[in-house]
Amino acid sequence: METGRETNVIKLDEEFFKEFEKELQEAGMSIKDLRSCIQCGKCAGTCPMALAGLEFFIKKIVHAATLGLREIFLDDSSVWGCQSCNRCVEICPMEIKPYELIQAIRRVSFREYAMPSNTIDGLQNYYKLGHAVVVKGYENRRKKVGLPELPPTALGNEEMRKKFQEMLKNTVLAEVAPFPLD
Amino acid sequence: MRKIGLFLGCNIPLRRPDIEYSMRYVLNKLGVEIVELDGATCCPAFGIMPSIDLVGWCAGSAWNMAIAEEKEVDIITGCGSCYGSLNEARYHMEKHPEIKEEVNKILGKVGKKYEGVVKVWNFYNYIYEEIGIEELKKKIKYSLNDIVCGTQVGCHNLWPSKAYTSNDDNVFKPTRMREICEAVGGKAPWYSTILDCCGMGALGSLAKEKSWALWRRKVSKMIEEINPELFVTGCSSCLLRYDNDQAQMKKGGLIDFEIPAVHIAQLLALVMGAEPEKAVGLAEVPIDGIITKIKGGK
Ligand code: SF4
Ligand code: SF4
Repeated sequence: METGRETNVIKLDEEFFKEFEKELQEAGMSIKDLRSCIQCGKCAGTCPMALAGLEFFIKKIVHAATLGLREIFLDDSSVWGCQSCNRCVEICPMEIKPYELIQAIRRVSFREYAMPSNTIDGLQNYYKLGHAVVVKGYENRRKKVGLPELPPTALGNEEMRKKFQEMLKNTVLAEVAPFPLD
Repeated sequence: MRKIGLFLGCNIPLRRPDIEYSMRYVLNKLGVEIVELDGATCCPAFGIMPSIDLVGWCAGSAWNMAIAEEKEVDIITGCGSCYGSLNEARYHMEKHPEIKEEVNKILGKVGKKYEGVVKVWNFYNYIYEEIGIEELKKKIKYSLNDIVCGTQVGCHNLWPSKAYTSNDDNVFKPTRMREICEAVGGKAPWYSTILDCCGMGALGSLAKEKSWALWRRKVSKMIEEINPELFVTGCSSCLLRYDNDQAQMKKGGLIDFEIPAVHIAQLLALVMGAEPEKAVGLAEVPIDGIITKIKGGK
């Protein structure tokens, strides 16, 4: 149909974002899926990051990724504020699984040391104690409610904790952990 | 006798063990044998392994699920993040056998294996489906005596629905948590912000003020519409926000209300007759009024 209107088209340089696409694909995001985003904004309409007022929320993140704007993600920490709530996955009409993009971007950023310090602390606790979140004073809190000071988890089970650490040495942590695995 | 593997995670055993106490108390009263998952770890939380590597995440979750498989039990958890992380990892491995194979190579190095037969339950779905509302009612000692409950289901308990084998019929209009509150004598009306996120988690770490404001926005609507006397959460992280963070906000003069909060396991423990000093012994927002009302509400 003749509308008499011209559509603006941005010509993207394929080479420019191929590298980034490859990285994202390796980090678990399907590029075929990503490219089918129609920028309808449904993900943003339901995203707690957007509701909380983070400017760089999911729809923009998807858009920037399709444009190959890798550097943005190394400068802006918004992807680390994602709640992993999966509202966007549930609601996206194109089944893009935007949350999987967030994870893929985090994985790429992590390898560039662009991650918040609590990720490193959590990871180190996870490796050393078996728990990412260890808030001091747990022994007393447990005692207060009539439970043994140590839970039956890896924290209270040295043999299993050692085995768990051995197991983790066979994961990618051996290459990318920002602390020694000893 | 029914058996279930109790998956603790991090926040429940280390920060709010009163939820752990309550889960144990309730399962016990319901005649479910608790099997300890010795050597279980963090689920792993979304901000760590899942943000670094897909196979590494699945290996971490499979470590936990393999412990349950060895003991031939399914898993129950009171934490939404644990429920999400374990189930999503399970789903990834089910859909992608090559990931499962890689994971088993990693686990095999320490003599472990993940079969993929374990089911991961969250607390309220287990009560709802495996025990049933009628059976639950028989085990109740005190009634909630019409206490108005403001329910917070928790994001991970509902979405991504594809990864979950048990869920509300309509994941955008959940009723199960509310039905449980009402089965034990409470009132649990719908309110317009019921689906909103509590803001606890990554958002809270990255932008604390914004995430607190998100919670206040949600809760002020809830108060306006249903005026709850008690908050009831389906997730331990939500409880940290509703109780521990609420207490901090009150101290800082950011809110002018004070509404006690419990995890659904704590609510059931209280109505089944658990000692409040243990079942809600670590609550920071004063909860005595609710206890009195429950005890007077036979
Ligand atoms: S909901 Fe899906 S299709 Fe719509 S903007 Fe978000 S990612 Fe793109
Ligand atoms: S998973 Fe992350 S990006 Fe998706 S809706 Fe939730 S907070 Fe937003």
